[in-house]
Amino acid sequence: MSAPKLSIVNLRKEFSDGSVAAVDGIDLDVAAGETVALLGSSGCGKSTTLNMVVGLEEPTSGDILIDGRSVVGVPPGKRNVGLVFQDYAVFTSMSVRQNLAFGLKVRGVGRGEIARAVDEVAELLGMADRLDARARDLGGSELQRVAIGRTLVTKPDILLLDEPLSNLEAAARLAMRRELRRLQKDAGLTIIYVTHDQVEALSLADRIAVMSAGKIKQVEKASIICDQPGHLFVAGFMGSPPMNLIRGKMDGASSGLTFARAGFALALPEGIALDPAEATGQVVLGLRPEAIRLAPQGSDTLAATVRLVEPRGPEAVLTLDCAGQSLKAIVPASGRPQEGADVHLSIDGSALVLFSGKTDLRLPLHAGEAA
Amino acid sequence: MNAMNPITTPALSIDGLGKSFRGVAALEDVSFAVPKGALTVVLGAAGAGKTTLLRAIAGLERPDAGAIHIGGKDMAGREPRDRDVAMIFDNLALYPDKTGFDNIANPLRIRGMEKGVIEAAVKDIAARLKIAHILGRKPKTMSGGERQRVALGRALVRTPTLFLLDEPLSSLDAQLRIELRAELRRLQRSLGYTFLMATPDFAEAMAIADSVIMLRAGKVVQIADPQTLYDEPADREVARFVGAPEINLVPAEIGPGGGVRLAGGLLPMPEKFMPLLASEACAIEAGLRPEDLALAPVDGAALSGVVTDIEPLGASAAISVEAGGVELRLVVPVSATASITPGLAVGLSVATRRMHAFDPQTGARLA
Repeated sequence: MSAPKLSIVNLRKEFSDGSVAAVDGIDLDVAAGETVALLGSSGCGKSTTLNMVVGLEEPTSGDILIDGRSVVGVPPGKRNVGLVFQDYAVFTSMSVRQNLAFGLKVRGVGRGEIARAVDEVAELLGMADRLDARARDLGGSELQRVAIGRTLVTKPDILLLDEPLSNLEAAARLAMRRELRRLQKDAGLTIIYVTHDQVEALSLADRIAVMSAGKIKQVEKASIICDQPGHLFVAGFMGSPPMNLIRGKMDGASSGLTFARAGFALALPEGIALDPAEATGQVVLGLRPEAIRLAPQGSDTLAATVRLVEPRGPEAVLTLDCAGQSLKAIVPASGRPQEGADVHLSIDGSALVLFSGKTDLRLPLHAGEAA
Repeated sequence: MNAMNPITTPALSIDGLGKSFRGVAALEDVSFAVPKGALTVVLGAAGAGKTTLLRAIAGLERPDAGAIHIGGKDMAGREPRDRDVAMIFDNLALYPDKTGFDNIANPLRIRGMEKGVIEAAVKDIAARLKIAHILGRKPKTMSGGERQRVALGRALVRTPTLFLLDEPLSSLDAQLRIELRAELRRLQRSLGYTFLMATPDFAEAMAIADSVIMLRAGKVVQIADPQTLYDEPADREVARFVGAPEINLVPAEIGPGGGVRLAGGLLPMPEKFMPLLASEACAIEAGLRPEDLALAPVDGAALSGVVTDIEPLGASAAISVEAGGVELRLVVPVSATASITPGLAVGLSVATRRMHAFDPQTGARLA
């Protein structure tokens, strides 16, 4: 195993008013050629983390290593990391070529080398035929490409992207996501990608670090973080809508495990067992909206009332009242019920997860002993 | 017949509204009505004329042509303050040195309402927003979500005939935006308010609207409920604007024998295309939603092609396939992507009855 490209070690940042730590002791390794997304709501500390990596802010404690060498105290210009902001910071009075050349020019790079580097990056970005266009005549997604190109041309070890797509319209965002995926592959970049948009994180990152209140709650492969959240916060954050989370108590009767909460009860599928310490404890039940289906009334269905129907094209999101418990479900648009309708729910028990009521961590579910 | 029926009088009706800025038309012959108690969304890209429309209704822009009636009354020449509308902008900032209560009470105090009335109104809206317990606190001690709810309370504490909301949630994080739009909808329903809300976000429009007014280049191109807008778009551009990933638009030909030739394959013609059938081949632009395409075994598939891109989207993934010289995107459950890699040859099946036909020149939907 080669050393990680970037190591963040127990990094903390407190601001001068001393109230709360913006970044509260995070650890993260990023391998060369990997894309890691820092995902979280505004104020979770993701941008502050990025600013410390690039050198715009100094950590209160902890370390940042690039290729095994600490860069804390090294001026931003000497770390060889490139930061692209959401507001593009492109010089609108200049041409695309002048913009791309700018970073090399201020570094005093020779004219021939600049021309070569600019051509190469323009080719990579698919903007070779736009080099002489004025930046002020460019559309949003072209501007964003120039902004990324301006950084790429300096050949950074690590590319840092701070909400790079949030100023683009939906269609341009889609196209730009694809462009970035291609860039990752073609240029073999190591990228840290900061966003509050989980679709962006899912579609671009190899791994996602979900942040909240200055801490990383879970780092996991993008392909499995939705289905296997390790922490209650992650379960409530990932997915659209996120998992239904219901606080209640386990009841480990001889006939199997039952989850219960004031009027709402759900039997766990047969053959599932919990550690004995948890089998009678406070837990949070997690249930994906995709795992709840409308069904004809049956012995194992739950009665519910439809409170809200939110169409979203091929499907609709239902907000249901099930014995006083609010649940969200996703159903096909063609079979969606009316608001106010009484329906019956069938729940795919194999898709449910449990979190400890004490630690908020996911509880391992075992195959039970044969009865 | 002449007497206005108070029950059926719309909260707002717009007839033939026009407005130009320096000779450039911002609004052209815009007409629609907003029923009382309904949530109507004006949907359009940046520059479509949404803000101009809302400002004209609020009395902040003088239209060049047309009429605006609010609660049945003609607004021509009326000052903004005399229109009985509340306009809510993308500005949910609070006064930092005022308590939650004082923030919410502010618009009522400005209007010189009585103390007792103000207190009752603030408490009512706070209870509905579930923020009664934080009314005594200042914004800096509230969580982000609590602050947003206080701001909503301040916006909704008045009871005008009509609320105009101009992208009220656009500055918020995705997650909070989704929560607050459901909250807005719930409040609008429970209070019986009439909302006209502008947004460029089709998903937001679909999630909360009773009716969507699709605005493009200053003109109304379609008025429909959300599902109809998605299932029966008026034209190619509406189909593209509503839905993500975007609808696939593919040159196609309806043969005289009744097959649809597209993307290098021949599909059975859906029944709704019957009226387009002619003695000679007829060129159309076919519209295929990504969810109406599915992966199929290469042998015997209607279409075949090569995977060019895979975009994970959480529970699902968007796959791009190049087939017969065109690129098609389809959405599949993430579980179906395990063995899919770029370069792989795949077959595609098509839910042909969900296919649209657009006029290749005008873009109008033909079937």
